[in-house]
Amino acid sequence: MATVVAMVAVLVLYPMYYLFQAALDVGLPDTRPPTAYGVANFAKLLDYPTVLWNTLVVTCAATLLALLFGFISAWILTRTNVPFRRTLDQLMTVPYYVTPLLGALAWSLLGAPESGFINQVWRKFFGTEALIDITSPMGIAWVMALFEGSVAYVMISAVMQSMDPALEEASAVMGGSRWRTMWRITLPLVAPGVLGAAIFVFAEMLGSFSVALVLGTPARFYVITTAIYHFVSQYPPRIALAAAMGASLFAVMFAMLWLYRWLTSRNSFVTVSGKAFRPRVMDMGPLRWVLFAVVALYVLASAALPVATLLFAALQKLAVAFPAASNFTLDHFRQAFSINAVRTAMLNSIMLAMVTATIGVIMTGLLSWIILRSRLPGRGVLEYLAMFPQAVPRIVFAFGMMWAWLVFPLPVYGTFWVLLIAYLTVFMPLGVRTISGVVLQLDKSLDECGQVCGASWWYRMRTITAPLLRPGLLAAWLLIFVASVRELGASILLMGPDSKVMTPAIVEAWFSSSSELTAAMALIQTVVITATMVVFGLFTRRLAQRAVSAP
Amino acid sequence: MTTTMSNPAPAIEVENLCIRYGGVTAVENVSFIAAGGEQLTLLGPSGCGKTSTLRAVAGLETPTSGAIRIGGQTVYDNRAGVNVRTEQRGMSMVFQSYAIWPHMTVFENVAYGLRVRKHGGAALADKVRHALDLVKMGQYAGRNASALSGGQQQRVALARAVAFSPSVILFDEPLSNLDAKLRSEMRIELRELQRRLGVTSLYVTHDLEEALAMSDRVVVMRAGAVEQSGTPADIYDLPRTAFVADFVGSANLVSGDVVASDADRGTVAIRTKDGLVVHGVTHGRRVEQAGTISIRTVHLSLAAERPAGEVNVWPVQIMRSVFLGDVMQVHVLWGAQELVIRRIGAPLNIGGEAAFLHAPPERCALLEASG
Repeated sequence: MATVVAMVAVLVLYPMYYLFQAALDVGLPDTRPPTAYGVANFAKLLDYPTVLWNTLVVTCAATLLALLFGFISAWILTRTNVPFRRTLDQLMTVPYYVTPLLGALAWSLLGAPESGFINQVWRKFFGTEALIDITSPMGIAWVMALFEGSVAYVMISAVMQSMDPALEEASAVMGGSRWRTMWRITLPLVAPGVLGAAIFVFAEMLGSFSVALVLGTPARFYVITTAIYHFVSQYPPRIALAAAMGASLFAVMFAMLWLYRWLTSRNSFVTVSGKAFRPRVMDMGPLRWVLFAVVALYVLASAALPVATLLFAALQKLAVAFPAASNFTLDHFRQAFSINAVRTAMLNSIMLAMVTATIGVIMTGLLSWIILRSRLPGRGVLEYLAMFPQAVPRIVFAFGMMWAWLVFPLPVYGTFWVLLIAYLTVFMPLGVRTISGVVLQLDKSLDECGQVCGASWWYRMRTITAPLLRPGLLAAWLLIFVASVRELGASILLMGPDSKVMTPAIVEAWFSSSSELTAAMALIQTVVITATMVVFGLFTRRLAQRAVSAP
Repeated sequence: MTTTMSNPAPAIEVENLCIRYGGVTAVENVSFIAAGGEQLTLLGPSGCGKTSTLRAVAGLETPTSGAIRIGGQTVYDNRAGVNVRTEQRGMSMVFQSYAIWPHMTVFENVAYGLRVRKHGGAALADKVRHALDLVKMGQYAGRNASALSGGQQQRVALARAVAFSPSVILFDEPLSNLDAKLRSEMRIELRELQRRLGVTSLYVTHDLEEALAMSDRVVVMRAGAVEQSGTPADIYDLPRTAFVADFVGSANLVSGDVVASDADRGTVAIRTKDGLVVHGVTHGRRVEQAGTISIRTVHLSLAAERPAGEVNVWPVQIMRSVFLGDVMQVHVLWGAQELVIRRIGAPLNIGGEAAFLHAPPERCALLEASG
């Protein structure tokens, strides 16, 4: 047990130690370990008020927008008789899989002030001004919100579903009108849950990186995460300043997530009973088609439109809004497959993701089991450590890792090993959360009954525990695989010239070669991920069927 | 299953069992013996430690101290440092949640214990079929376990528990998730089955009727300790404490100063604050200066005319009658205290009416002075 805790602690805390060491290093430059410690680096942050201000504006605007998207769709889908409710509910999670990076690339093609498709169309019909500017702070917030809205939706609809409809029915019985019930009963009861979602989303937005990188940096618009990347990758790098920024960002995010945990663990409100209720549904009459359009529009803007835009752009020699037969080509796809670097990066990503997912499932499976089912002392600490990386923005964590492994006696820096270690650490919360969910659902007595029947630990593991956990383990494998293929924040700092991976390569292509080629690369990545998910889905269904038909 | 007949089932002995979780004591100094072939029930409200005790016998819970022996063999003893693992104790158990494995068929669920014991082939199929027939689930063998109703799952859990011919079966509130009608049916079936198999069983429930109907002996538990143990009739007729009197069926408790007692004949009389005298029996319990007597609601009778020459006859005021279907519940004012009477027969319709209340002295049991 002590070794497990120690191992996880090293993975999680070792980079954090170096982050703070660098942040507090005020000694001679380029000398490690530091010759003097102080807080001067943090004072220097005040020299960059625009970065702090930009971060605040973008984060607040994006959080508000995302909550608005999430709340409205959650209300429509849990409380009204909107048509095609089940389909819409499934579609609402699609934006999460489309990823903010893809969205940023697509919306850049759509809304760039000069060349954006929407502005091209606008100019053609209505004059010379650009209609929208996606590279403005509000534009960046819009794209961030589109993709985080899906997360807000999942969180808020869970709160709305866990509310006992009898509470609302009681109001109706006492003579309260629909709107009175909504204002006086429903909203106050879901408020704590929505507040929790708000804090969680705000923390995620603070640490988000890809949208601001793609849309902001060309116009020298920086938020904290992109500024950190900028300070580390410029020449000469400004390590101490980046570290101080990272440490401050981590502190704020940590505090917010702590607040979130505290809010959600305090069971002061009656609504969340862990029981799933069938909420009362309001009959909206013909208005329900309007509500349908609202949700459909959100899915369209955050999922269908970006993918369609990328496809439209990737198929043209030069991406323009108005299609011409002579302009269409498959060259960009051909090019993407023929460039050695791209092909290698793609294969590297898939290999690395497979290894990460396989080791990750075993590791997080073991951790979940220890945390939830063992009586070993120290499992509380273990849970805390395992969930810790969630509070650290990837780019900040990658910075700590870079700084840590540079001085590590083993030559892993710049190799796949450092990426593997980084992925295993940053995706630990994802794996532990997914598998814990399944372990928690598993009635303890299922295993105990095998025990009473006289079965040994291995026999039970083989016949009861493993088969029952299999769907959860496979789901965790898939989630970690997909997350690894798409990983940007950590990879962009940690990959070396011989360990290129896909997502940073896409960003590099965006900045250094054509947007059409980038669109093609992004689409190829999406197809790879989608194909994996489909194949995996079929495979697991086959497994499930075999388990059922077995004698 | 015939082997258990020739081989008498083993006794379960629990001695000074203590279970603590951190600073909380769940079970304290619990001792009892379930003789071979006997059904012993642990009865008590939720949180009284009955389930913890059962799980300790199963080996699913590690006690803090005490000893547990099965058929004379020590499976747990903290002083001797013995703690036999659950899977080596050779018992069987029916769980409250049934714990039917959802990824297996009904057949595979029932066959599990046999497969663990390396049975196979036709003998295994035979035993599984036999167990399923016992619970009338024979035609469901091929069914997927996740497609069963609650009652069916309960039956499969039972079949699984008996399939490998165990000689000790533990039951953790196995009927609590069933509806009332099914529960009373299963109660009788379970009892029949237990008798037929001749196994020793330890049964946990918070349901009084279940305990009285199914057990050879009942151990009433409260706050982690044994409150009283005895046959169902003993427990019902002679509650030892106010808690048992109240928990095991409805009882009227009356308290007062002891005004007379006869140790040889085992009788006692108390006078309440209102000056009413109640004669009762001691059953060897120590008589102190004051005492409390328990009178079951069904042992009280009402009459319009004063019954001639009997002790324990008091004039009362009828306050209200409540129709409960099988019985009529009458509330009367007895001195300043309200007593409850349950009787069969025509409803008494008049509130405020005077009547005479009678209780046979042999049905008025003195309680032990509780701490």
